[in-house]
Amino acid sequence: MKKNLVKSRVLTAGLLVTGVLTIAAGVSAGGVASAAKKLSPYLVGVPMPMTGAEAEAGTQIYNAEAMAAQFLNHHGGVLGHQIKLLEQDDACDAGTAVNAANLLVSKGVQAYVGGYCSGATLPAEPIIARAGIPYVMPAANSPELTTGGYKNVFLIDPSGSGDGIEAAAFFKQQHITKVFVIDDQSSFGVAIAQSAASAIKKNGGTVVAGGIQSIPATSNDFSAVISQIKSAGATGIYWSGYFSQAAQFATQLNAAGVIGPHGTAKFVVADGSVDATYITGAGAAANGTYATIAALASGVGNVLGSNADKAFNRAYVKQFHAQPGPYSAFGYDAIMALALAAKHVKSIVPKRVIAGLHALHFVGLTGKISFAADGNRLGAVMDLLEVVNGKYTLAHPQP
Amino acid sequence: MSLFLNEIGNGIFLGAFFGLVALGYSMVYGILRLINFAHGDFYMVAAFVSYTILGAVIVGNSHAQWWTVAWVGLVVMIITGGLAMLANQLIYRPMRRAAILSLMIAAIGLSQVLENGVLVAPQWGATYLVYPVTTPPSGFNLGSNHYTWGQLIIVLISGLLALGVYFLVGRTLLGKAMRAVSEDRIAAVLMGINVDLVIAIVFFIGGALAGAAAVMTGVYYGQINYLMGFTVGLEAFTAAVLGGIGNIGGAVVGGLILGIVQSIGTGIFGAEWAIVVAFGALVLMLWFRPTGLLGERVARRM
Repeated sequence: MKKNLVKSRVLTAGLLVTGVLTIAAGVSAGGVASAAKKLSPYLVGVPMPMTGAEAEAGTQIYNAEAMAAQFLNHHGGVLGHQIKLLEQDDACDAGTAVNAANLLVSKGVQAYVGGYCSGATLPAEPIIARAGIPYVMPAANSPELTTGGYKNVFLIDPSGSGDGIEAAAFFKQQHITKVFVIDDQSSFGVAIAQSAASAIKKNGGTVVAGGIQSIPATSNDFSAVISQIKSAGATGIYWSGYFSQAAQFATQLNAAGVIGPHGTAKFVVADGSVDATYITGAGAAANGTYATIAALASGVGNVLGSNADKAFNRAYVKQFHAQPGPYSAFGYDAIMALALAAKHVKSIVPKRVIAGLHALHFVGLTGKISFAADGNRLGAVMDLLEVVNGKYTLAHPQP
Repeated sequence: MSLFLNEIGNGIFLGAFFGLVALGYSMVYGILRLINFAHGDFYMVAAFVSYTILGAVIVGNSHAQWWTVAWVGLVVMIITGGLAMLANQLIYRPMRRAAILSLMIAAIGLSQVLENGVLVAPQWGATYLVYPVTTPPSGFNLGSNHYTWGQLIIVLISGLLALGVYFLVGRTLLGKAMRAVSEDRIAAVLMGINVDLVIAIVFFIGGALAGAAAVMTGVYYGQINYLMGFTVGLEAFTAAVLGGIGNIGGAVVGGLILGIVQSIGTGIFGAEWAIVVAFGALVLMLWFRPTGLLGERVARRM
């Protein structure tokens, strides 16, 4: 027993030293018996949307987190503590998220790893900060999340302000000066739309229709908005909300002849709209539309449908009989970041783990991971994607 | 000016959906004085049922399988009508002597049951489902607006259904019985009218109209979700109140007005104001004309 423990420690330490953590190694080295059953479990709270419009994305991230926890538990857990994920539905709703946070804190979770919709992640921040435990966010990335001055917040997905800046750069490169910017009234959407609008103005463009427009997240009819776009003569349209509405917007823009074969305008969406459902939902209307997303390590997940990191995809598909989502790899990295930080400071005491996260440097599935003092991920690079023949591809737009 | 006209066009299209769902609200209210809060969820269930049937009979995502959509639409109208009738038989009918507030709470409960039932149902669930059929983008231009043939057909079908209901209620013996039950239920019984059957038929018609609206929503908007009934229910209820709840013509007029007000609100003030403008109009209406546009008869009775 003792020997096994040492062996697994050596293995994980080895991974830490090289700083390279690949799933492939994890999958092939699976089956090492845990020797640490006697230690208390490491309780990790996971708030994710499991119901509502964003349930699909939430499940895809949670699954990947469970995979990471399983992998670590196979190798002796975190310093001998088996990771136990306590999942709670936040429904992408602020009120539900606050309840979930209070419930999980009262259950004594020692870390909080979750969040897809920023609007549901933001109100949980003060609760988690008061509990004094680390809050690692796999996918939520509104710029507002790191302006609260909390020292325990860490964003695996680079701040969404990069989305707006990247989109503005694309419009400029395309000589598009009249851009229609619209959000979905969510915390994430509003913040991204603002960063896009200010970047567009900085680049010499104008945000038409008198400024940023917004539409309720429950709305599925964009006809009135499309009339506005036509009357303003916008040739660029920027959507900062989520994928289900993006699909309807693209479909209706295409039917109205604003984009697509009969249109001349370019439709760009932020990373909340990067999802396989966007393409299936919009069908042919998705072709020729653009999206921005943090550059993933050679197209992890199935976003790009590339061959890169087949091992993660294979392991995910084998376990869940479904393709991983664009943020699955971020979920995997979030749990890994937490575990490596704990190993680095040789403690699962929340305060120590927070310090460990601040000092963390490792290469995860989504590339190099380290955090600025405010919790934003350092060194984020954005990618521009274009949908071609129903698939996301890296875009190389010609001016 | 062209923006204004375009937004009116958009609003009429939007109003066609509101109007159909509002008819169901209004008819049930007219006959039972019950605001059936589960009505929007009949519409939602219809969307899922049609999704499953269409998924089974249509191979691949294809446009323009109009006949398939038409017969599936009819089947779904019958199923949804049956569902509404069943809800009436199982829940509202045994409670007929209870206070109307109890019925309304039962309706809210039923709405929750339907939403969560769809949420946990295998194959349905919480995610957005992509509808198996969509309308092709080809169509015609009016002003600077492009309308698809699908949109035109949807508005025409809505109009025909509403006209059908109008004539049914206003010109037939069954309609006369409905009006009689609405006017005075006890007197209607004494005149030999089978009140329970009339009420059941009203529920059936309301459900069937919601079913038609659901299929058209799926075909045009292309996505369905288990919460879609709530938003539409709220808007249709508002439309019914705007037009004068309990009044058949009022529901249609209210739907059109709500659609147009929302679209023009978007065009002039921006999309974030659409709902403010729409509900502001509702408040003004309740202020100056609490009976709604065409709803005097009911108000006198209240």
